Amino acid sequence: MVKRILPIAGLAAVVALAVVATAVARPNAVRSADAASSCKKGVSIGMLAPITGPAASIGGDQLHWAQFYVSQWNKVRGHVKLKLVQQDTQLDPSKASTTSQALASNKSIMGVIGPAGSDEVQAVAPILRKAGLAFASGSATRVSLTNGAYKGYFFRDVPNDSVQGPTAANYMFAKLGVKSGSSVMVVDDQESYSTGLADIVGQFLAGKGVKVDRESISQKDTDFSSLVAKVTSATKVVYLPFQLSSQAQLFTQQLKAQGKSAVTFGSDGTFDQSKFNVSGSYISFFAPDVTTIPADAAVVKAFHRQFPGATSPFGAPNYVLAQMYANAVTKACKDNKITRAEVRKDFAKVSLPKTILGTPIRFTAKGDLAGAKFHVFKIVNGKYQTVQ
Amino acid sequence: MDGGRDINPIPARPDEEQIPKVGVDSWVASHEGRVQRSRFLREFDRVPRPAFYAGFAVLAAILPALTSDEYIIRVGFDTLLYMLLALGLNIVVGYAGLLDLGYVAFYGFGAYGYAMLASPKFGLHWDTLAVIPVVMICSALLGFLVALPSRRLVGDYLAIVTLFFGQLFVTVYQNGNRISFLGITKGYDVTGGPNGIPNVDNWDLGGFKIGSVKGYYYAALIVFVLALACIYLIDTSRTGRAWKSLREDPLAAEMMGMPVNRLKLIAFAVGAAIAGLAGTLFAALNTAVFSADFDVPTLIIVYSMLILGGAGSIGGVILGALVVNVSLEVLRTPGHATWIFYVVLAATLLAKLRPWRVLAVVGAGTIGLGYAFHAIMSSAWPRSTRGTSTVGGWLGNGLDGWNLHPTNPMMIGNIAFVILVLAVLALTTLRGWSRWLAMIPTLYLAAFVWDNRLVVEPSITRLILIGVILIVLMNARPQGLLGTSRVEIV
Amino acid sequence: MNWNLFVTELVAGITHGSVYALIALGYSMVYGILKLLNFAHGDVYMVGAFIGYGLITVFGGAEALSINIVLLLVLMFVCAMLGGGLLGVMIERFAYRRLRAAPRIAPLITALGVSFFLENAAQLVLGAQFQSYNSFGWKGGELWTKGFTLPAQVHVGIAQVIVVVGAVVLMVFLTVFVQRTQTGKAMRATSFDREAAAMMGIDVDRVIVVTFFIGSALAGAAGVFNGIAYQQVWPYMGFQAGLFAFIAAVIGGIGNLPGAVLGGLTIGLAESFAIGYLSSTFQAAIVFAILIVVLIVRPSGLLGRAAVQKV
Repeated sequence: MVKRILPIAGLAAVVALAVVATAVARPNAVRSADAASSCKKGVSIGMLAPITGPAASIGGDQLHWAQFYVSQWNKVRGHVKLKLVQQDTQLDPSKASTTSQALASNKSIMGVIGPAGSDEVQAVAPILRKAGLAFASGSATRVSLTNGAYKGYFFRDVPNDSVQGPTAANYMFAKLGVKSGSSVMVVDDQESYSTGLADIVGQFLAGKGVKVDRESISQKDTDFSSLVAKVTSATKVVYLPFQLSSQAQLFTQQLKAQGKSAVTFGSDGTFDQSKFNVSGSYISFFAPDVTTIPADAAVVKAFHRQFPGATSPFGAPNYVLAQMYANAVTKACKDNKITRAEVRKDFAKVSLPKTILGTPIRFTAKGDLAGAKFHVFKIVNGKYQTVQ
Repeated sequence: MDGGRDINPIPARPDEEQIPKVGVDSWVASHEGRVQRSRFLREFDRVPRPAFYAGFAVLAAILPALTSDEYIIRVGFDTLLYMLLALGLNIVVGYAGLLDLGYVAFYGFGAYGYAMLASPKFGLHWDTLAVIPVVMICSALLGFLVALPSRRLVGDYLAIVTLFFGQLFVTVYQNGNRISFLGITKGYDVTGGPNGIPNVDNWDLGGFKIGSVKGYYYAALIVFVLALACIYLIDTSRTGRAWKSLREDPLAAEMMGMPVNRLKLIAFAVGAAIAGLAGTLFAALNTAVFSADFDVPTLIIVYSMLILGGAGSIGGVILGALVVNVSLEVLRTPGHATWIFYVVLAATLLAKLRPWRVLAVVGAGTIGLGYAFHAIMSSAWPRSTRGTSTVGGWLGNGLDGWNLHPTNPMMIGNIAFVILVLAVLALTTLRGWSRWLAMIPTLYLAAFVWDNRLVVEPSITRLILIGVILIVLMNARPQGLLGTSRVEIV
Repeated sequence: MNWNLFVTELVAGITHGSVYALIALGYSMVYGILKLLNFAHGDVYMVGAFIGYGLITVFGGAEALSINIVLLLVLMFVCAMLGGGLLGVMIERFAYRRLRAAPRIAPLITALGVSFFLENAAQLVLGAQFQSYNSFGWKGGELWTKGFTLPAQVHVGIAQVIVVVGAVVLMVFLTVFVQRTQTGKAMRATSFDREAAAMMGIDVDRVIVVTFFIGSALAGAAGVFNGIAYQQVWPYMGFQAGLFAFIAAVIGGIGNLPGAVLGGLTIGLAESFAIGYLSSTFQAAIVFAILIVVLIVRPSGLLGRAAVQKV
């Protein structure tokens, strides 16, 4: 036994020694994270998005819109050249935290777009704040993210759930015949974006005496017929705060196939005219659809030339974020030097009177979108029409 | 499983065909070749195993002294965590030979356990020295419970029941924010549901708080070394030998009077306890836990590490985790990935192409073809060269005159990618000179696809390459990098 | 008792179960012969689904089909089955063949590698977006509006009928093939004892190739069926489907073909009744719990033979 213990003990001793030795030998100052760098060679912006994995359809689109803006920007002579450094999070908070560490350690990164999910924002926030980086999400809508803990670091150019939920619920009361005693089905997709909104709407309706049937699907599901069977004739509205617009489409189609009379009501996650377009459905969004704004036609066309295929509502806000970073970087680069702190301060102050989202974009002191308001759309003949 | 030459359907590799084989069993036939190793290798074999582990631990301990880059230390932490996980899985799969597909559930159980006992969620802030034993014992008990009904199950049925258990775990934690008892009571929030449990405390070892990535790196290293020492002792003990006999032949083991059922239960429990321990580290560094981290993808990564390194070998666990996790991280940066791509390609050619004149022909042919093709295309169809290499640096500039860079490479790049895959597959079926000649355009095509399509999508490319690495390495060494080859007994 | 709900759940369960059963069949066939858990099988299913989608696009897209629906369906099945089958044969030839004598877990990891490769190569080439068959829009939606009505006012669309009937036809075809033809007998012999079969003069290599071709062709067909009934195709769809097919195959008794069908139907029905009568949130957990109980009561699956260990 002693013979066997000996090498182990030796090993442990060696390790202990090594640990102590390195701990003692390492007081040399760590270089400040916020050293100024030159603007000559261009400025890097990090991008955290779920580029692969189950949420790749969202992440790929976010990445492409940001890449698209950067490539347009770089075409113009005299602009400070931007470089987008992509990091894949797979919509997984722990992977997001490793990858955000990679961005934080990369001295040339001056700001970050993303991450996409609210959980991911929570996971990366301590790391990015420590590194002095601004980070701005185009899709994280959980209310508590802007409660002040990361003020000056975290921003978002999408309104949070506290605006959208009540707008949707009020509209159901005012126009869709929901009243005390009638019933509404609320379906979440088991992701935090969806459960957050579903909770808000569900509680709001239940508080007014509506019978709320709370159900869930998973983002991997494509068969909702079993769930649709539970929609009764008393069900007036089915609320679908999904992240994937195609799932809302499918749910509505299966609802129609079974001959149910309830109307579906989608959230901003499902806002995509090419994917969710069953006539008679409703949807709430904070801006008009990019693909339907006449002024944006050229932009959308150029985007599709570079990235063929469809686009989702989570994409365009990232274009705007890249645009805001371009503004902030230009301002910070006046003296040909740039630091993360400069970018952070300038980014917070950027105000765009006109954006491709159709609304002016600037941030509140807490980092939320200023003047956020939700519109309700009705789908008529496959097209979105503003009704409120 | 091995039959005669005409029965056994394994096609021989070309370089194997020349070796005369005695007997029908290829393993026996090639036994001599294995015995006659070089002097260096024989001396190498005589070094006691713990010396290697100690060497690894020392190298790992000085890593933070070499860099102040927190990202590298973070990757080191992740790798150590994976090693710890693979070490636990090694007991169940490598020693006892039980295919446990619910393993990451114990990892998640440990992480959630730590998060519940040390976070504002339930207002509990236990000392880590108290949490760890509790979590480990509970994980072991859970492992015991899962294994209990599984005793009757053989082979893949055990795998599936454990897989169910893993999925059950994820579903419950994913939706654990409104658990009601049989639908009677109101929903209670136990796990935070999809929002997880945030703001988890740091490790607090009796007042000694760990707050930095580097601190966690050392914590993980110490935990790993301790676990390794324990497992090494178990491995060389009576129980370890009993597990291995169970793996080789459960029936024979039972005949020899070994308590097969008890051995299985112990293997499950020990593996689960280690996974739970890894979970506490994970939860503390991430400061939050979410159910998504304990799903099948994580399981796949840990299994790949274990099998790639060689199941049943502690050194293999270390090597496997290093290879998989480090290559996953290195490939993240397109600049690094490009260098690795070209260097690995060139090194493989240098090492594999014999005789030298073949290498000379292939090399010169590829370079010549590139310049010739570039010259023709730039005059015939200028748009095909007008784009720029995304790589940059002198490597990128050097490649620019050789490789084509069309202005909008997406479509053509996709087509070229599919052709490349087919061409590489076709290459493996060719023999002799036709193979070397076909290799020239294939190499050029590979460089074209890499520069124009794969570098642009580093996140996707990374996973494609991991897939390729798994396929190639498993085909090259089915027993794993450090595993010992053994004959499967039918 | 709400009969409408009951019958609807029954129809939904059988439809979804048929798709699971088709994928599980291929899984089970390959397992029966090679004892290999082919995790790449789900990705063959994904490729089959994309082949069908490609054909819809070629013929003008869902809303403006320039071709007769019946012709389109036939074309989709032929192409998806051929494409899936060829892909399966290629995977076997290039990834698994050299590992036949290796420890069993080595081809398992290789299969995971193949799965990684196919999923991400598909994302690289085809994009990550969800694509839709949109069979609701074909020629004004006649696939869904036409059909017949079951008792309790449950409407069944032609699309669902196609899926169930198509799956049954393929299964009957497969049973006849395996039971009556020379190759089928060779397959059964090989799965019973590969070495003995080889000694009896059966060309094991050929049998394995045929098995991979048929199994993967069924997965390709399942991809098209899934598209018709549930619309969506995307690069990662194979992962979940492969997992469920594996489960279905094991529940029925892995290596046993009728068992795979029974397993697929069991999972489909368990899912839809769990949603309809228990809880949609814990649907997956309920299904898994049921299955654990099934396996503990019958450790070798519903139709599996009790495993006799050879000495």
